[in-house]
Amino acid sequence: MTRKKVTLAYIPNDSERKASFKKRKKGMMKKVNELSTLCGVDACAIVLSPYSHDPEVWPSPLGVQRVIAKFKNLPDWDQGRKMANQESFTKERIRKTEEKLRKQHKENQHKEMTNVMFQCLAGEWSRSFSFYGLNEMGWFVDQNIREIARRINSLKEEILPHQGMTMRHGMSSAEIVADTQIASEMPMNAMQNYQWNMQPTVSPYGLGWDPTIPSYGYNSNSIGPNFTYP
Amino acid sequence: MAKKPSMGRQKIKIAKIEIKNHLQVTFSKRRSGLFKKASELCTLCGVEIAIIVFSPAGKVFSFGHPGVDSIVDRFMITRNPPLTPSQTLHLVEAHRNASVRELNLQLTQVLNELEAEKTRGDVLDNMRKASRSQHWWEAPIDELGLNEVEQLRDSMEELKKIVTSQTRKLMAEAAHTPPFFDQFECKPGQVHVPSTASEDHSFGYGHGFF
Repeated sequence: MTRKKVTLAYIPNDSERKASFKKRKKGMMKKVNELSTLCGVDACAIVLSPYSHDPEVWPSPLGVQRVIAKFKNLPDWDQGRKMANQESFTKERIRKTEEKLRKQHKENQHKEMTNVMFQCLAGEWSRSFSFYGLNEMGWFVDQNIREIARRINSLKEEILPHQGMTMRHGMSSAEIVADTQIASEMPMNAMQNYQWNMQPTVSPYGLGWDPTIPSYGYNSNSIGPNFTYP
Repeated sequence: MAKKPSMGRQKIKIAKIEIKNHLQVTFSKRRSGLFKKASELCTLCGVEIAIIVFSPAGKVFSFGHPGVDSIVDRFMITRNPPLTPSQTLHLVEAHRNASVRELNLQLTQVLNELEAEKTRGDVLDNMRKASRSQHWWEAPIDELGLNEVEQLRDSMEELKKIVTSQTRKLMAEAAHTPPFFDQFECKPGQVHVPSTASEDHSFGYGHGFF
């Protein structure tokens, strides 16, 4: 299978167009066949082209007539309910793709926000923040702190299932369990030393923010507050 | 939300699917794909097509260019339907074709944008991966132990403090001086909204801040 990117437009070159037609028609007929067989449903296809005097059909002229008859027997409303033409179909494709695009964009903004936050934690600020970027970052950090708190609580529940709420706030977990080894570098010092850039420049990555995405872990189920931005 | 890896392309037997649920899902996907192929065939090669498909539930889906009915009727009347529409319909056809061309351009553009966003997503994933291999605190919090997660919280609280104080500073600065105007060479009274250097979608994402 060749994977050349094809422009979605009429092929101007005659021989190219004819070759494409042959291939694609063959492929499409195969797909109709598969759909009909795999799902055990009635189907038919009619193709009218300048390359053939007779219409090219699937499954057969008789088969097509049979399916058409079954089709025509349905009430008009049922016939038209899921009827599409080029215009309506393409509009629908556009709509669906825009939806996917929105989702992907949101996801990416979230990923980027996460990366930036981690950069900050590691003491690397390769960018300067705008006022708005900072605002969003503050919010995002808040959300993550909340997630972390939740995780801490659930971990503490596991360790001391009876203690729960009676545990003193600030009771260090080191007093409870000598757990995993502490990493050598903690990011706090690096942060304090940084010279924050004071100019109201714009963040080069344009952090559009959707607050309904909670944490950086990608795998939590919580929902943040729900408000939309203009 | 971590992406669930899909099964990829599998070779399947061309026989009726046993499991009803699979059958329905397959029908839905393949019907959609079939219509897409038909649509592309029409556009690329300038031919006329009609497809009629009955669903497992008995509903009927159809796709036709220029229209299902016109092609079906012509097929029924004569087994050798005329290949060119009548004169009176030419103008209507031309108009419709132009609008389809427009839509195809639009579709192409959106598809390209989607492709770009996907690439961006991959780039961001790779950055995170690379960063994560060096910083233990970047692992999903569910994988961190209690000690670690508490340390992380402390760092995050620190970060929060810094961010908040910086935000306040910027706010104070903005309030006291009108450097915005000088910087962007606007007359006082005009508000210049700095546009982001990044993707500028016309769909109105949460760029309200900007």
